[in-house]
Amino acid sequence: MAVIDIRIDLKKGVADPEGNNTKKTLESLGFKGVTDVKAVKVFEISLDMPAGEAKKCGEDMCVKLLANPVIHNFSVTVR
Amino acid sequence: MKPEEIRVCVLRIEGTNCEDEMADAFRMAGAQAEKVHLKQLTGETFPEMKRNLEDYDILALPGGFAAGDYVRAGAIFAARIKSALGRDVKKFVEDGKPVLGVCNGFQVLVELGLLPALDGTMSPVPTAALYTNDSGRFECRPTVVRNDNGGRCIFTSSVERGKLMMIPSAHAEGRLMSRDLDFIRKLEENDQVVFRYVRDDGGKAEYPWNPNGSESDIAGICNPAGNVMGMMPHPERVVTRFTHPDWTRNCPGGEGDGLQIFRSVVDRLG
Amino acid sequence: MSAKGLMAKRNVSFDLYDIDILSSDDEDLGRISSDLSLGLSMDEMKAAKGYFSKEGRNPTDVELQALGQAWSEHCCYKSSKSILKQFVFGIDREDVLSRGDAGVMVFDDDHGYALRVESHNHPSAIEPYGGAATGIGGILRDVVCMGAQPVGLADPLCFGPIDMTADIPPGVKHPRYLLGGVVSGIRDYGNRCGIPTVTGGIFFDERYTGNCLVNVGCLGIVKKKDLALNYAGGPGEVMILIGGRTGRDGIHGVNFASRDLTATSDGDSRGSVQLGDPITKEPVIHACLEVNGKHLITGMKDLGGGGLSCAVGEMALAAGCGAEADLEKVPLKEEGLAPWEIWISESQERMMCTCKPENVDRVLEIFDMWDVSAVPIARTTDSRRMKLFWNGEMIFDMDLEFLTGGPIYDRPYILPEVSTKEGEKFPELPDDGKVILTLLSDPNVASKEWAIRQYDHEVRAATAVHPMVGKLNMTGPGDASILLPVHGSMKGLAVAAGCNPWFTALDPYKGGMSGIDEACRNIVAVGARPNAFTDCLNFGNPEKPERMGEFREAVRGIGDIARGLNIPIPSGNVSLYNEASGGMGILPTPMIVGCGLIGDVRKAVTADLKKEGSRIFLIGKTKDEMGGSLLFRKFGGERGDVPGVDIVSLKRLMDRLLEVMDKGLVLSCHDCSDGGLAVAVAEMCISGDTGACINLRSDGIGIRRMLYSESNSRWLAEVDGKNVAAFGAVMGDDAEDIGSIGGPSLIMTEAGVDLPVREMRKAWNDPIWSAMGGGS
Repeated sequence: MAVIDIRIDLKKGVADPEGNNTKKTLESLGFKGVTDVKAVKVFEISLDMPAGEAKKCGEDMCVKLLANPVIHNFSVTVR
Repeated sequence: MKPEEIRVCVLRIEGTNCEDEMADAFRMAGAQAEKVHLKQLTGETFPEMKRNLEDYDILALPGGFAAGDYVRAGAIFAARIKSALGRDVKKFVEDGKPVLGVCNGFQVLVELGLLPALDGTMSPVPTAALYTNDSGRFECRPTVVRNDNGGRCIFTSSVERGKLMMIPSAHAEGRLMSRDLDFIRKLEENDQVVFRYVRDDGGKAEYPWNPNGSESDIAGICNPAGNVMGMMPHPERVVTRFTHPDWTRNCPGGEGDGLQIFRSVVDRLG
Repeated sequence: MSAKGLMAKRNVSFDLYDIDILSSDDEDLGRISSDLSLGLSMDEMKAAKGYFSKEGRNPTDVELQALGQAWSEHCCYKSSKSILKQFVFGIDREDVLSRGDAGVMVFDDDHGYALRVESHNHPSAIEPYGGAATGIGGILRDVVCMGAQPVGLADPLCFGPIDMTADIPPGVKHPRYLLGGVVSGIRDYGNRCGIPTVTGGIFFDERYTGNCLVNVGCLGIVKKKDLALNYAGGPGEVMILIGGRTGRDGIHGVNFASRDLTATSDGDSRGSVQLGDPITKEPVIHACLEVNGKHLITGMKDLGGGGLSCAVGEMALAAGCGAEADLEKVPLKEEGLAPWEIWISESQERMMCTCKPENVDRVLEIFDMWDVSAVPIARTTDSRRMKLFWNGEMIFDMDLEFLTGGPIYDRPYILPEVSTKEGEKFPELPDDGKVILTLLSDPNVASKEWAIRQYDHEVRAATAVHPMVGKLNMTGPGDASILLPVHGSMKGLAVAAGCNPWFTALDPYKGGMSGIDEACRNIVAVGARPNAFTDCLNFGNPEKPERMGEFREAVRGIGDIARGLNIPIPSGNVSLYNEASGGMGILPTPMIVGCGLIGDVRKAVTADLKKEGSRIFLIGKTKDEMGGSLLFRKFGGERGDVPGVDIVSLKRLMDRLLEVMDKGLVLSCHDCSDGGLAVAVAEMCISGDTGACINLRSDGIGIRRMLYSESNSRWLAEVDGKNVAAFGAVMGDDAEDIGSIGGPSLIMTEAGVDLPVREMRKAWNDPIWSAMGGGS
């Protein structure tokens, strides 16, 4: 058994309307000193396989489904 | 082929929700249209419900939120098509049969690699993205598009070049992007640009006329062969004049601007 | 001391308690009700004790919990029923096809249309996104239960001021946050289900700060031959649970909806709030309509308030049956739910259908095709008793008539003192140009485009008149939207909301009438004839006699006008206990959603001015009725007569206006509501992107009262010069020529107004965009 965390974030230079909007809303709710907000997506995936294979499997999942290489970076960490 | 012999497969899964009007639009253009669940093509259903993609002449991917647009707009539907039907779809396209994707259907075509398809019929990974609108919001609003295609695209074969059409948009992720700096030039060279957003007087579109911030105001593109087209605006919503948002001011006749797109492809096959 | 000592765990492998109420005294009964969150009063607990004494045994926790659900305000309308019966029930017309979970009216020879509105107020005040989304889910199911395809959503909302800077009371969220969350919830659920949100309204007032209102309405279309029942066909049928799994979410939702919000509601009540799952719902709609269209089922019902406990019993009893259910068969979201939790859970996306045993397999096949879970869990019997089993062990055995009978109360009420002309204070005003800009920029009038364009209002390709009208990307406010629900037919279904909570606060009777008048005005303004109403009555705590008085008078007003117009109200909903902590009640808000029919949508009219040089007419009488007006609220006026309705003239005006529209004599039309005639004409200029020149006679009440009075039953209509005579021949004295169209400004000579349209558009367009962010 292995549990992997897959983090999908935006490539540098890709605008982040969700992050920007969230930042504006936080400011409107009175939070001070918010300098940046980034929206990031995380998948926690449990796999019935050795930890050694899990990372490769997670990367494959990103390529086939979870990330679009035009806009996304991904990283896979095995817990 | 007579128009009434043309069979259109309007493909749906959970969350596609513009299939009724898509099928109706093809019927208005004279073709037969059937709403088909992906499971009917992959065989995961009762014998009498099963269908074969190769029995159809046109494949249409309607708008909506296929599989909730979870993960990423269009990604799950595309992954399911690819795993179960990838080869059939590729053959369908290579046989020159028309494929139309509207809104979420366009997103699916991009995720499937069928558009822009600069490196072959079906790219193994997506080479473009339809990304979140600049405004960060879902935008349901009238948009005007200009037919910028030089004649390659089968879906605009009987639409005059430069013609302005009122075709409304309703999406949150419609901004066409690529990592390729020469992307737009390549599309233009191949005559793959089909529609651009413009102002109602034909001038350059700023927001809200370009509702998503798409580069070069691109609203719709086709593959290099011209038989696969994706567009963000919804032509199936304006097949009659009486669903245009401003028809009470401006009503030249009964037919809506979107019908020409369906008619183009049906007439060409017919 | 808690009620623990009165609960005995039964010696079985699951959680089941027998509750000793037979030997309980009053104090114990109170403790049982509160510790088990039953929400039952002392009298109700005593009635329960009496029942189980006759049965000769103590109840299980499942039985008491079911009673708590069935007897809640939300499920049995115990405070409101006698008043509804007295004033609004029984407006019968031949074209009412059903008064089931949604009302159904005749649409054309082959079709009916379904309509219903309900509230999702309390969950939305705690978690706006999920609360609103699940509200949409519930109302869609109510329409689907009639066998109808949903075709449109209508969502009137009420919040505190979005520009509120004063301290927010503890436990209350900022109106801006609530508005943002609610609109996102409606957007994500409605758009994902593919049902257009075509009308609504957003109201802002301080008194909604602690208790926002989220009313959700839905319209559907059904072939008459497919009209579904909401109950079984008889004994011996199978009851199939459809859709989502059952979890702990939404437990005690009805009890939560049946009491006031408190400062700690936030932490206490999260369990009552749920997140929706539109992607389960969308195939549920398809599958349910398919089994119904193939006539494989006998009845269908939504699992709403009270969950299984209400739906199973009601579906059986309405068919004169009882039911037996096997609770262990219910698919669960998580292990370890106690039977009582399963029985009353309000998990979303679930429905129940009944069918003959021989059709079960075919029904299950269709649900399987759509990947929708469908599990037979119960069967109808001929006993009129509800029995529950857990792996064969009986855990519930009650008389259904007692269980669903519920108490009915005639709660004491005090008739409200109403506002009149006596003691009226007319405010000091700046110049009228300034006044008009101020009224246009009030959030109650200002553009709601920020919300409207996040809703897909065109999906299904059947929206003929849109919520915003006029030149592309220069639009202004419309009156009603019109849908084309039957493919290939030009017959239209118009829908609009109507409500004036400020009138209702000052004079509930006139306020109730005004909501209906407004819905009628909006529908007639687009050329449709009002055909039916559905209402969502949002009021305060019915145990307070003042609140009960407001409720009674408003309902009487609604009943009088609906009866006078002979327009039925085939469905509705009551939401009481809308009070924030500290006892500040909401404005009494009898929300009306009206439906109208137009034989040929090509004759529809929109509010945007169309043609330079044409004439503009005022239809209806302007009276000195300033009470509750936007002008008084904005500039500090006090008291004044609240607008009433003269039903006879309303009827005549509607008939005449529809006649001239049918003849094609009206280029544009808009109703006069908030801000009176002045704001109405300004809005028509904005959407038409043209000015107008208005000459008003003061008619003895003074020019300012003419401009800003919100008298009911009034419209503005644009008529081409060549048609003025034909128009006048029908309208007679009911229409008065007040000016002409053209130029870049709105000019009102007598009031000294000369306002550029562009300035008015900015005043009207910007406020909500700038408060919520974004904009063009």
